[in-house]
Amino acid sequence: MILSHASGRARERRHLIRSIAVAAALTLAATACGSGGQAGGSGDGGSTLTVAVWNMAKTPEFKALFDAFQAANPGVKIQPVDILADDYADKVTTMLAGGDSTDVITMKNVTDYSRYSSRGQLTDITDLVKSGDTSKLAGLDAYNVKNAYFALPYRQDFWLLYYNKAYFDKAGVKMPENLTWDEYAKLAQQLTKEEGGKKVYGTYHHTWRSVVQAISAAQTGGDQLGGDYGFFTDQYNLALGLQKAGATLDFGTATAQKSDYKTMFETGATAMLPMGTWYIASILAQKEKGATDVDWALAPMPQRPDGTGVTTFGSPTAFAVNKRAKNADLAKKFVQFAAGKAGADAIAKIGVVPALQSPEITSAYFGIKGMPTDELSKKAFQPDKVVLEMPVSEHTSDVDTILKEEHELIMVGDKTVADGIKSMNERVKNEVLN
Amino acid sequence: MTHVITQPAPSSAPPSAGPRSKRAWRPILIGWSFILPNFVGFALFTLIPMLAAFALAFLDWDSYSTPEWVGLKNFQRLLSDENFHVALRNTLFYAAGHIPLTLIVALGLAMALNRKIRGVQFFRTAAFFPYITSLVAVAVVWNMLFNPTAGPINQALEAIGIAHPPRWVASTDWAMPAVIVTSVWRDMGYYMVLYLAGLQTIPNEYYEAARVDGANAWQRFWSVTLPCLRPTTFFVLVMLTIQSFKVLDLIVVMTDGGPGRSTLVLAQLVYREGITEGHFGYSSAIALVLFVIVLTVTVVQFRLNERRSA
Repeated sequence: MILSHASGRARERRHLIRSIAVAAALTLAATACGSGGQAGGSGDGGSTLTVAVWNMAKTPEFKALFDAFQAANPGVKIQPVDILADDYADKVTTMLAGGDSTDVITMKNVTDYSRYSSRGQLTDITDLVKSGDTSKLAGLDAYNVKNAYFALPYRQDFWLLYYNKAYFDKAGVKMPENLTWDEYAKLAQQLTKEEGGKKVYGTYHHTWRSVVQAISAAQTGGDQLGGDYGFFTDQYNLALGLQKAGATLDFGTATAQKSDYKTMFETGATAMLPMGTWYIASILAQKEKGATDVDWALAPMPQRPDGTGVTTFGSPTAFAVNKRAKNADLAKKFVQFAAGKAGADAIAKIGVVPALQSPEITSAYFGIKGMPTDELSKKAFQPDKVVLEMPVSEHTSDVDTILKEEHELIMVGDKTVADGIKSMNERVKNEVLN
Repeated sequence: MTHVITQPAPSSAPPSAGPRSKRAWRPILIGWSFILPNFVGFALFTLIPMLAAFALAFLDWDSYSTPEWVGLKNFQRLLSDENFHVALRNTLFYAAGHIPLTLIVALGLAMALNRKIRGVQFFRTAAFFPYITSLVAVAVVWNMLFNPTAGPINQALEAIGIAHPPRWVASTDWAMPAVIVTSVWRDMGYYMVLYLAGLQTIPNEYYEAARVDGANAWQRFWSVTLPCLRPTTFFVLVMLTIQSFKVLDLIVVMTDGGPGRSTLVLAQLVYREGITEGHFGYSSAIALVLFVIVLTVTVVQFRLNERRSA
């Protein structure tokens, strides 16, 4: 191609200008992607509140609370930041570390709460606790960090025993009123059977360490942060005994296949299931949908022979305001609403146990369609003592990791109970407490 | 483009200094404008965070409070931190299993699929498929296969008379081998493709000459194929080394570092200390050690390669 010198130069210049313009546009686009800007207002004169939640579609309490809050505050729109339940802790931790500005963060458990609050990632909302009547708010103490509060609980879960009534009837056994762990173990073995080529386990212990450790701590008065874990022994012997007898799904198998306690119970693969009250709403929803026909009822958690009354463990769930929230005032308003009467009414209606407790709310709760109405179920619902699943301190998270690792080793049979407990003692003392 | 960049300035009439320097800058500016979008991305998301991590390793910082200079304290802590020792051992174990096994399997596959057999394209695609499959799906499916009681692997082992087959991911001894097997299966297709490309560059005359000299199949492989594949093998080795030391995703989905700490690797410890526990300084120190290990191994590999090539 032959070009005159002048036109060639003009063309080069045009090329250059065009190239630089394209490059600049691309650069801007690339950096805009990274900035992660988030609109605070909805653009229609109202406000948009962002709330971090998990499995929105399968956790009906969030929708119930959001609808109630939006109805009470016209012009406010709640935008959920939906996260997969299993990844919730990791995702929120990453979000907060990265300076995310989601307004309200749901505190799935108190271990994560202690982590976020001790790092200064949450807004101090002590004024909300001091200004309102919070005396009937169960689980509030768990959020007390050196006399300051960074979250308010809206629901309070505790552990009880779910059981399949049809299997009990078929085996001709009745769920005892005051079940001890020994009786529980015998029942589990008695109810284990093969049915039409399908194994039915007497009970199912989920893989969480709490199933063994938190219940031991609650019923023996043991301290999970103390560095001395001899009080776990009985419960480990029980869990391993059941596993050895084939009366519960083996821990290794449950871990390898990422076993789901809901599937285990709802498909009739287990006759009993120690689990938290949060599961009630889920069963009700599944039965309503016709996804399961499990004939279920509740019993109090089994007790140690020397125990008086019903002692179990539990965990409140709370809402907190992000330190970097875009709409901090509105976020506080939401947190207060959810922990108050209106919030409690909204979630009790769908089978979720609110943190705010009163006789009216409990009776409304048992009036829901599909709830078991027998006396034992009602008794299960009113334990005498609910101990916090894991104490809150700056060491909680580190101790939790060690206890989880050693729990796995005991449950897969890699360490004896005594050796596992010895390792827990040594590691917690050396790696955390010293 | 080439025309614009390479066109020399007319030599007959040397222009003044101003326009000349302007013209000299032009190709540089044009060049930069083309790499700029990519470079900005690289700088923002790779280079700056990397340099920041180096600096963070000498600080105590939780992403909220003011960073505090602690000098070498984070590195001193590494010496006595059992989690770090366990993770380092596990990472080396993983690399020692993953690197040679993937290399051998990939080479074997490439040799087997470098012939004119019926349906070779199908087999090549089948071997490559795991590499483009979702990692989570791979991990979940292999976990099912490795299921200690109901998994087909153990059922097969029991069928051939092994009374107590390994409990795989439910055992501290077998969890890492199970992860290695899965990762070899996943990666073999990618390296097979590299080897296939390498094999196809070997001139057929070499094999013919070897045959004339009376070399058997093994001798041909040892004296012709392997030496000719040396550049490919070197590249595969370097890539595999870097990949092995950085392993994280597969382990998180398959075992999450367990049972106990039996599959905890360095990259996971970096994540746990930094993101989960908020010890960004200490986490960066671990990352820095990981970087130094990978860099050293890679440099050694390059040196050895140079010496052999010389």
